[in-house]
Amino acid sequence: MTNNLDRVELSLVGRKRSERLFKFYGFLGILIAFLFLITILYSVISQGQKAFFTTFIKVNIFFDSEIIDPQNQRNDEDIRYANFNKIITESLKKKFPENLNKNDSKELSSFISNSEADYLSEFVVKNKDYIGKYKNMWLLASSNIDVIVKNPEMEDLDEEDRLISDKQLGWLNQIRLNKELKKELNKNFFTKADSTEPEQAGIWGSLVGSFLTLLITLILSFPVAVAAGVFLEELAPKNKFTEFLEVNINNLAAVPSIIFGLLGLAIFLNIMHLPRSAPIVGGMVLALMTLPTIIIATRSSLKSVPPSIREAAIGLGATRFQSVVDHVLPLAIPGIMTGTIIGMSRALGESAPLLMIGMVAFIVDVPTTFLDSSTALPVQIYLWKSTAARGFVELTAAGVIVLLVFLILMNGLAVFIRQKFEKKW
Amino acid sequence: MAEKIKISTKKVNVFYGDKKALENINLEIPEKKVTSLIGPSGCGKSTFIRCLNRMNDTIDICRIEGKIIIDNEDIYSKEIDPVLLRAKVGMVFQKPNPFPKSIFENVAYGPRIHGLAKSDDELDELVTQSLVKAGLFQEIKDRIHEPGTSLSGGQQQRLCIARTIAISPQIILMDEPCSALDPIATAVIEELIDELAKNFTIVIVTHSMQQAARVSQQTAFFHMGNLIEVGLTDQIFSTPSQKKTQDYITGKIG
Repeated sequence: MTNNLDRVELSLVGRKRSERLFKFYGFLGILIAFLFLITILYSVISQGQKAFFTTFIKVNIFFDSEIIDPQNQRNDEDIRYANFNKIITESLKKKFPENLNKNDSKELSSFISNSEADYLSEFVVKNKDYIGKYKNMWLLASSNIDVIVKNPEMEDLDEEDRLISDKQLGWLNQIRLNKELKKELNKNFFTKADSTEPEQAGIWGSLVGSFLTLLITLILSFPVAVAAGVFLEELAPKNKFTEFLEVNINNLAAVPSIIFGLLGLAIFLNIMHLPRSAPIVGGMVLALMTLPTIIIATRSSLKSVPPSIREAAIGLGATRFQSVVDHVLPLAIPGIMTGTIIGMSRALGESAPLLMIGMVAFIVDVPTTFLDSSTALPVQIYLWKSTAARGFVELTAAGVIVLLVFLILMNGLAVFIRQKFEKKW
Repeated sequence: MAEKIKISTKKVNVFYGDKKALENINLEIPEKKVTSLIGPSGCGKSTFIRCLNRMNDTIDICRIEGKIIIDNEDIYSKEIDPVLLRAKVGMVFQKPNPFPKSIFENVAYGPRIHGLAKSDDELDELVTQSLVKAGLFQEIKDRIHEPGTSLSGGQQQRLCIARTIAISPQIILMDEPCSALDPIATAVIEELIDELAKNFTIVIVTHSMQQAARVSQQTAFFHMGNLIEVGLTDQIFSTPSQKKTQDYITGKIG
């Protein structure tokens, strides 16, 4: 007896050591994962938050009637065609009374976004009284100025590596000293679609594109997948054919998404001639990709409903279909919803299949129908990432933040539904 | 036995795939009496009872031969709709399995799908009557809209009985209805079975020989997929004709 206990005690040392070792490895794994997560979040948020704000410069605009309306006719069309860029440049020049040459006025004009000329012309068309008068206005700075303002460390770079010349930097510092510089919420980012100018580019177009695409995906995949899942799990006879289907559905869930894109290109575009770059086609492709995910989720949540519930219904004389619809399916719904949302959030983050069907185009309009050309969130991020202008770096990170926020919201919703509606029995 | 025979089985064989679960079962079950099926675990008594309302149809690999005749009809003939059959032959399961819905909804479900109540009032009345007959109404009348799963185990099982009698079957099959219950809840159910036998033909599978002795008039002893002996309960427990029966009820096998 004693001898036996000694042996047990001896073996206990080794057993406890391996347990400690295992715990340590587990902790190490979590720590590494956590560090990576922090790094990613930090780099994305520290970059991306800059794009949520944008720089404005206060300019005392002189609405020179010589430039706007030399004939003094106050005609809307003529005013619209007037050279408002010149108005802006001339007004900027007044900030720096020292003698400026022709080159300087070009460098000076690049302080302000080229969208502001249109803004001023519309302003004047509506307020013709201002012609010939001065008005202090906050104008959107160009992206290069914006980047320098947001990243002060870039001022120390050599002139050729910097986005602006030494002279421009000098003017910028003077503007800053005069407190004619402010940062405000970047409305363009939240309301516009893509643009060649970083300060005018926005995420809204691709957000709407993603929304329209996912709506199609949900409408197509959810009813089909749930019906297929219920049929396969509850109603179909178990034979070689259904077994074959089952294996294929499981395989389909593991097919790389780009393959679905190729399928969409071959069938939806080349054979069915649906419009290129449209949310309807994107939604169809993503629906194909999401189908197996929802089918599998449906089946596994049906499987987890205890058979006693089915027996109870069938024992009462319910048909097989009634037992499923009245009792099994309601219990499986939370699981199905969770699986669906997980599938949808995967679809939201998917870019490869959308590249195949042309949703990677440069689209400056916010889509309004399922047939409009459009991009999607991850594709927009990809597009910005591959654009050279420096201002897109922050936009890319901001796009990632928007995408992450939506993914977190969707996954949070899935968790909420699971906890709230899961019935205990 | 002079009573009217409700169910009779002729040369019933049941297979699960290649495995034979029941062999050559010939059994007659009298109307409005309690027949208990006893035997050691895995002897096929549950399989047998599940043949009587074609519950085994839901198991793909299950195959049945022979005839089971209820009221002069072979229930496995092509003309019989199993759904209709189960409205006539109700079943109470081993583990109480109320639907995760209210007590009322549990009892109302059967009448509702079969269209047994013409109006809401009629349905209310039917539910109340079923709960009364199952001896549950007094205990739960104030919380009839609370979930059925909130009841105690014994109450849940009586709820399942109420749910079964709500569709007015002629036969009630009970598959070890008390095996998950404590002795007090068991006693209540046994009393209820006595009461129900006035109106229903009852077939009960039980592990407890005392229970068989207490509630049933006829007892059938199954062993290894064979029906060893069947007879009046008193007779089976006092003077069994087969040695195996003798061994089982005296605890030598089991």
